[in-house]
Amino acid sequence: MRFLTTDPAAESSNILYKRCTIDLRTVEQRMEETPCRNLEDVLGGFGRSFQDLARRQINNAYCDENPLIVNTGLLTGSSAMTGMRTYFSGYSPIKGSKAGLPAAMWSTGSGKFGAKFKWTGLDELIFENRSEQPVYVVIKETDAGPQVELKPAERLLGLSTHDKIMALQKDYPDAHFAAIGQAGENWQNNFMGAVALSTENQLKEKEDKCRFAGRGGMGSLMGYKNILALVAQSSDKLKPLSEAVKKVNLNVVKGGGSARIQPISRGGGGGTWAAYDVLQEFHAVPVNNFRPQGNAIPEKLFRENVEKEYDIKSQACYRCGITCHNNISEKNADGSKGEFLAKFDYEPLNLLGTNIGIHDAGQAARLIQLSDNYGMDAISLGATISYALSYNERHPQKTFLNGATFGDYEKIHELIIQAGEGKLPEIGQGSMRLSQSLNETCYAYHVKGLEIPAYQPETNPGYAWAIAGGHMSMGTYGLLTREGKSDLDSWVKGITEDKLHIVGFDMIGLCKFFDIAKGIGTQMVVDCLKSEFDLDVSIDNIRAAVRRSFLRGLALELRQGYTKAEFCLPAEVFENPNQNIKLPNITSPEFIEKLEKRVWEIFEPELEGLLNA
Amino acid sequence: MMKINVKLVGMFRIGRFNEKRLEYPSDARVFDIVEDLQLPKDVLGIILINGLHAGEQDSLKDGDALSLLPMLDGG
Ligand code: SF4
Repeated sequence: MRFLTTDPAAESSNILYKRCTIDLRTVEQRMEETPCRNLEDVLGGFGRSFQDLARRQINNAYCDENPLIVNTGLLTGSSAMTGMRTYFSGYSPIKGSKAGLPAAMWSTGSGKFGAKFKWTGLDELIFENRSEQPVYVVIKETDAGPQVELKPAERLLGLSTHDKIMALQKDYPDAHFAAIGQAGENWQNNFMGAVALSTENQLKEKEDKCRFAGRGGMGSLMGYKNILALVAQSSDKLKPLSEAVKKVNLNVVKGGGSARIQPISRGGGGGTWAAYDVLQEFHAVPVNNFRPQGNAIPEKLFRENVEKEYDIKSQACYRCGITCHNNISEKNADGSKGEFLAKFDYEPLNLLGTNIGIHDAGQAARLIQLSDNYGMDAISLGATISYALSYNERHPQKTFLNGATFGDYEKIHELIIQAGEGKLPEIGQGSMRLSQSLNETCYAYHVKGLEIPAYQPETNPGYAWAIAGGHMSMGTYGLLTREGKSDLDSWVKGITEDKLHIVGFDMIGLCKFFDIAKGIGTQMVVDCLKSEFDLDVSIDNIRAAVRRSFLRGLALELRQGYTKAEFCLPAEVFENPNQNIKLPNITSPEFIEKLEKRVWEIFEPELEGLLNA
Repeated sequence: MMKINVKLVGMFRIGRFNEKRLEYPSDARVFDIVEDLQLPKDVLGIILINGLHAGEQDSLKDGDALSLLPMLDGG
């Protein structure tokens, strides 16, 4: 980016970002410096991409006019801790309205690809149309600025995410990679393809320790465009750490913001996996398709039980002191580390473990590994499989697919392979389409067509207003459980004010663990922007830009045909309330009706004009 | 003195206990127990007294069940 001002809010057009647009059909490309339209453009990520998506009326995700936008955030590649994020945006194959229109979506992941991409000198890469032949794309730093090249990729076809990255690493040893798996290649039948992003640990240890931009099928959109991988080739360009950023980073690591995510060995909570223990206290760990049973079954996947048999190692992305990854390996007879299996983050572990009746850590790890290798979103995959298992449990005389039921490891394993290979559109196209085809929609756990993460909907009516998945774009998932808030005022305030700010992290290039409670409208971010780019921006201006971006997402949903009735939780929550969850009931029809009314009263007037910016 | 049933969750159990009946002065508040058990404050996320959300300043009475949970942050 080029900064010709120090005031990004008032003079955003004096900040220019480097964008390359490639027409995959003609192979023509346009490299340009583009002036920012507003502070959202400066911050980047979905704050910028959604403005571009809003300019296009797309009726089908798999059409030439639907772009795939790859970009970074302002602090990606900076010395601010967690500044590793890459964003993939486009109209989603999986998330869509009942009117049949695709929703705009973004997905993001860490790893080192984002920083390398930024260090090539490019800020955004837009893919138009689709390539006739499979290609991979090399983005490289040169003396003349960033260069982008398409290369034939036949040899990568059919390889897993990890194997594609390993194959490319041989040719580009100094690069980092973003790759789809077989799921994305089979985009016709798999709408939940993810993009894997390489990590330093993966490239050094040759183990499949990618991070994923999983949500919304951006890997399937990439597959549709016939792009199998991206290669970002540049030298590392970290600035020397300034005193100001050093202070911020220390605060992130030691100041409490990320303490609960840090490894247990450092006195932290032990990554997102720790959510198991906490939620179980309320019998709110999803079990067998989001129906907690009020028993101790989730405890089998508690860390204290898993570590007896498996080796657990905390690792981090490049330079990150938060170290949130829990990597699980076999334990050899002598207690040493054996074969690497998978990483245990809360969402994949639950949705490919307890929530499908798998309570053995080794089995759950194998399923997570399979999902990662085929390059599927573990949340959408797990929640669609749990729907299918629930259907079979309800129809023992008339099961479908391979008749798998909860806990049937072998059959579930088979379903994942078939879905990953594009042979099982029933699973690959997600729970909304599957439940509609079976005419039993009430226990399909998606909201607006996107499967929910591993927080019971009974604890989070805020899901209805999440614009890109319930744990990425609406931070209300802990409002009842963590904060004990069960009154209407707190929920209205949570949804319409505080908790929507979580999306700021999907603009600026940082992980949400940087400061999950406060978002990016903080002095820490202000200090980083001043130190890294000499920008003067106020907390209020940042918060306003985040809010506008969130609301633009809502406005886009409405434009893509969502009715207000679709902003709702899965029907089973109301039709068959779960009495086992030990928390106040905040999903009674009366509560929800009042909540909807008050939330829309606040949001609706603000949506005006947002899509015309 | 009063007896409190203290339940620890997650990493708080390491080197401590899962559940124990402990005795404290009758004016003890939650934070006294948190101090006494040397729980890391920045990891402490949820306090329940008899199953209901409570705060560090809340007082306790004989026979109360106190659960101390780490912060919840998934993703
Ligand atoms: S918080 Fe976790 S995912 Fe984010 S950069 Fe650090 S180690 Fe990577």
